[in-house]
Amino acid sequence: MLRMEDVDVRLGRFRLQSISLYLKKGEYAVVLGPTGTGKTVLLETIAGMHRLQSGKIFIGDKDVSRLPPEARNLGVVYQDYALFPHLTVYDNIAFGLKIRRKPRREIKRAVDNMAQFLGIEPLLKRRPVNLSGGERQRVSLARALILDPYVLLLDEPLSALDRNTRDRLRRELKRIHREVGVTILHITHDLTEAFYLADHMVIMKDGRILQRGKPEQILQNPRERAVAELVGIQNLIKGISRNNWVETDLGLFEVPLPCLDECSKQTELFLTIPSWCIDLDPGRAAGRYSWLGSMVVGDMSFANGHVEVELIHSSGEALRVTLSRREYGEYEGKLDTGKTVKVGIRKQGISCVTG
Amino acid sequence: MRSFNIIAGCLATILLLLVVVPLLRMILAADPKILQATLGDAEVARSIFLTFRCALWATLICGILGVPLAYILARWEFPGRGAIQGIIDLPVMIPHTAAGIALLMVYGKRFFLGKAFGSIGLDFVGTEAGISLAMAFVSLPFLVNAARDGFFSINPRLERVARTLGASPWTTFFKVSLPLAWRPILSGGIMMWARGISEFGAVIVLAYHPMTAPVLIWERFEAYGLKYARPVAVILILLCLLIFGILRSIASKRKEV
Repeated sequence: MLRMEDVDVRLGRFRLQSISLYLKKGEYAVVLGPTGTGKTVLLETIAGMHRLQSGKIFIGDKDVSRLPPEARNLGVVYQDYALFPHLTVYDNIAFGLKIRRKPRREIKRAVDNMAQFLGIEPLLKRRPVNLSGGERQRVSLARALILDPYVLLLDEPLSALDRNTRDRLRRELKRIHREVGVTILHITHDLTEAFYLADHMVIMKDGRILQRGKPEQILQNPRERAVAELVGIQNLIKGISRNNWVETDLGLFEVPLPCLDECSKQTELFLTIPSWCIDLDPGRAAGRYSWLGSMVVGDMSFANGHVEVELIHSSGEALRVTLSRREYGEYEGKLDTGKTVKVGIRKQGISCVTG
Repeated sequence: MRSFNIIAGCLATILLLLVVVPLLRMILAADPKILQATLGDAEVARSIFLTFRCALWATLICGILGVPLAYILARWEFPGRGAIQGIIDLPVMIPHTAAGIALLMVYGKRFFLGKAFGSIGLDFVGTEAGISLAMAFVSLPFLVNAARDGFFSINPRLERVARTLGASPWTTFFKVSLPLAWRPILSGGIMMWARGISEFGAVIVLAYHPMTAPVLIWERFEAYGLKYARPVAVILILLCLLIFGILRSIASKRKEV
């Protein structure tokens, strides 16, 4: 549905470099990256607001690289929703249809249907200034969706909302995507949002795409250290590859590890160790572990039904493990700060990335 | 804190009195009989209407030319934008008699531009067109700067979203930018119109006749003294206050929400 081929954009000192992207019809793609990385510029480039230095953008089979925004039929929802303050909610939603000179009756029917679908019928006569953040988001979505866009571009649409509203609207976005079937490109810096919504994930930093693929693929096999950090892998241990072992400050890690082939050409590498492949008090099944040893329990933080435990190795290297409350309860008495626990790091789940 | 409030209040009061006292003194000191006679003076009425009309023309023409310039200054990034902004502010800085002389040199019969306009029947020396031109020259910064600030205060994303919804740049300007910026533009227009009415220096150089109200006041002061100049000034001030008050209340009326 949407294809970008080697797109370069220059805006002052900022540059989008060699962006290539492919979105299937009906797919929910999430671009994840830190603030200031060029995500909004990417979205605005797709929408036709910035001139390409090089490369091409296709919607379907049509080359839209040189088309103005009004000729692309893409819906945009900004972080601040950009509702027209001088128009009522009804007129905001009807804006695009009025531009297209649709008959008044048809416009009314379409707006009423869309308002019903998004549950905003009581708001139609109000002005944007009198709406809550969640209501504004729905109106902005309605305004974009009513034109049946080829791709809906969402620019951090949940970031300006309080936590409860954000959680609710995240589910709502999933419902809309499921029921309308529209192709969505959603940009965010929020990991939870990205993993909850994405069919396809694009990791971006400093104007470049670092990796793209299914979320679980990226999580299991991040291509480089920056990707691992961006997708929230908590533990990155520096190491040196030595044939069948990786030497780290924690000691030797037994290989083969899933991606060592790729990394073995590099002597220096990082092991990414997701929290879920760290077992406390690992028992006897030593064969499943790449590393076994003892660590001291450091700081613990309790939040959101989870407990985050810091484990400190005698070398000073630290690992972070996230446990559910139930798991934490199972270790009752063993996980007090300062106590020593046995730790096993499973082979399954570890991957290695270059610096 | 208290001493700050008292001192700030006193300083503000001094400034307000500086403006209000002379106006009040002039209005209160006016002889009602002469004021009444002046009200019936056809020359006074003619000059006041001429002044209002010429200032209105100046404002309308500058509105048509100045609003696009204001939009460009607010939205476009280009080399020389600061220089253009400086040029717009120039008329505020230069003495208005000097501005009048500059206009006379360009729009008078001795320069090709004046000749070209003359050939199509548009003379600027000693005409209403000349008065409007002088008024426009000295007061255009008020309109352009207010309109520029108005456009600048609009979130550019509103215009971008309008484009993605199918609006052309023209439609976006007329359906989004202009409706959101009309209050600052109107406010700037009122200021420009008011400044145009009060213009004296540039007008007497370019078009002493037909006589605008400020020129008439000056002439009566020169010929007959304060007693006969004052009533014309009082009438002009009262009319200006009335119209200015009405227009300002429209421009600053709270938006319906």
